Amino acid sequence: MYDVERITIEIISAIACFILVKYMTKPYRLTGETRYLGLPLGFGVLGATYAFSALSFSPLFDLANFGLIQLFLRAFAFLFLAATYYFSKSDKPNFLWNITLGALSTILTVLILLAITSPQFPWPDYHLTQTYVRIFNLICLSYISIHGLRSHIQQPDPTTLMIPLGYILVGINQYSLLIWAVDSSIFAFFSGLAFRLGGLAVFLFVSYRTFHSSEKRENK
Amino acid sequence: MKKIYRRDRMKIYGDLLSTLRSEANAEKIVLTQVQLRIKVPFDRLKTYITELVDLGLIKDENSLELTNKGKQYLREYERVLDFMNRMGLAYR
Repeated sequence: MYDVERITIEIISAIACFILVKYMTKPYRLTGETRYLGLPLGFGVLGATYAFSALSFSPLFDLANFGLIQLFLRAFAFLFLAATYYFSKSDKPNFLWNITLGALSTILTVLILLAITSPQFPWPDYHLTQTYVRIFNLICLSYISIHGLRSHIQQPDPTTLMIPLGYILVGINQYSLLIWAVDSSIFAFFSGLAFRLGGLAVFLFVSYRTFHSSEKRENK
Repeated sequence: MKKIYRRDRMKIYGDLLSTLRSEANAEKIVLTQVQLRIKVPFDRLKTYITELVDLGLIKDENSLELTNKGKQYLREYERVLDFMNRMGLAYR
């Protein structure tokens, strides 16, 4: 049901993420600091999961545990993004947090590899797994949003408020999908997808404005 | 007490080019003033200027005028910094 709509939204989301990767590599290319690599990696992995999602609705592809792989990969993308924000704030990050982020990355990598290589692994119920993973995603996105809002409070400027708003919209997307996972509400599902598109549109708008609007102004 | 963050070379180059651009209208660029503005020791400032001349971002060590490449680099640097600021990423 609604397969065409779902595929369309997934394809648009994937294209938006791949365009964003181009902009997100710029901080890393300028500074050469690996701590900024999480942004292009996060959006790249996110775009790849949306593209896989679109493919998964096609009858041509039939991959066991596809939903789980995509679920864990998406969590990995949000972890990458949260880690980038965490490492960007301080020159000397907290040792305990380093261990926690390292452990979470390792766990997610193992889960992805396990889902790919061992489809026969006795996974818990998909809906239950989905609920836990989406709660994890929500925690990552809340951290990023709070981080962004704190930066905005430190330097009050209307332009710095847009990105936390984008992350909040993606967070609402995860919350809506959590509701969908619990009570299978199709309204929650499509609202979630709409919020996701809204969030990605905000990121694209900010990136475009920063790099292209200023270019036009300078050329004038 | 205010925490002082260690700047990397890119940041120092950016600060130096930005200062030189803002001083471009002055009759003569005084290195001591530049040094005070970007907060680096004088001997290191001289080294950075030599490096920027070698990179083709400054015309020569006497005029300290930005080349077209230097102006272009500074524009791109400021744009990326602005983007990082909007993204909520700290770059010190």
